[in-house]
Amino acid sequence: MQPEPQVGDAYLVARARDGYLDAYEMLVQRHSAMAYRVALRLCGDHHDAQDIAQEALIAAWQNLARFRAESSFSTWLYRIVTRRALNKVTRGRAAELADLLDEVADPVPGPAAQAERNLAVDAVTDALAALPFPQRAVVILHHFEGLSYAQVAEVTRSSVPAVRSHLFRARRTLGTKLEEWR
Amino acid sequence: MTGSVSEPPSGGSAVRHLLNAVTLPCGADVDELLEQVADGHGTDRDAHQRDCVHCKAALAEFAALWAPVIDTAARPVPAPRGLTAAVMSQIRVLVRDVWYTLQTTDLGVIRIAARIVAALARDSARMVPGVRVALGRSTHSKLAELAEQASLKHRHPHAAVGVFGRTAVVDLAVAVTYGDPVHEIARDIQQHVIAALRDHVGLRTVAVNVIVDDVLMDEDQ
Repeated sequence: MQPEPQVGDAYLVARARDGYLDAYEMLVQRHSAMAYRVALRLCGDHHDAQDIAQEALIAAWQNLARFRAESSFSTWLYRIVTRRALNKVTRGRAAELADLLDEVADPVPGPAAQAERNLAVDAVTDALAALPFPQRAVVILHHFEGLSYAQVAEVTRSSVPAVRSHLFRARRTLGTKLEEWR
Repeated sequence: MTGSVSEPPSGGSAVRHLLNAVTLPCGADVDELLEQVADGHGTDRDAHQRDCVHCKAALAEFAALWAPVIDTAARPVPAPRGLTAAVMSQIRVLVRDVWYTLQTTDLGVIRIAARIVAALARDSARMVPGVRVALGRSTHSKLAELAEQASLKHRHPHAAVGVFGRTAVVDLAVAVTYGDPVHEIARDIQQHVIAALRDHVGLRTVAVNVIVDDVLMDEDQ
């Protein structure tokens, strides 16, 4: 069989809208790892992360007709995953993504699931988990996922200055925690 | 935060001292220095930073402080096994894509999920030279609908949802290599897929609709 060439997400989205589940399956294969990874880093629990990723990918499919082409599929999926993670950590309380960068009460996350992390990773993970959700979200989207400030603002439906402000505060808090650990 | 760093920090409290300040004695913004390091540009120093002892010290401290974050971010987090399959399984239920071919033999009944037929068709199409991408979609024909309606009246309550006998209609969306004769490729696809479904699934009546909706340059691959 010939190797599968890299067609763009936009092509696959268009075909998926036409009813080609194959096309959506390729999108899921491309982006499921990201969905799970972001969910895990945002909520800190494997089972919750798996649920969030699964629900987000299904929700994306159900809402393909409403997907606006000016945004990339991955940015759109980041938004869905982040919103669902926010809902999960606020224990089901209704939370709008537009409020993502407002301060929200954050529950203490459960114990980390990974068994073989080294101490440094533990320290970073714990420091991240202690951040308020909005700060954790921007750190993960920018520093872990490599999204630009503009993309993070798009995902969180916020502004670049708001993203930058949250990052400044988050980095200071993370730095202080990591300094205590060192 | 206490404004400017008033004296050079020392020992283990150096970073904490920095993080409690807004600016360095040279006037450099502490947040912007930490941002520079965190964004991976700690060594891309401007003219001031190359000569300033405060900036050089702060950048070095922040680089050491932030290294575990960079390491953690770089660690792969593989998706759980079966995540894609679980998602697609739920979606197939939602779109009711759960119908089957139905063949009655002397030994009993054989059902093959329509999505398997579509997958076989897709994989078969991908074998045709010039085809770069093929996506399969199995659809009901009018005949299939009639067959399904007839069979539904008699089917067992726990039987599969919908059958369409030995008839299949398959839609294939394909992208081909730019410059190749598109109509010939499309014809090859039809012949290839019809033969494959006859040989592998035993389907006798197969209609293969080919939609060539993109051409890709060689360098796209």
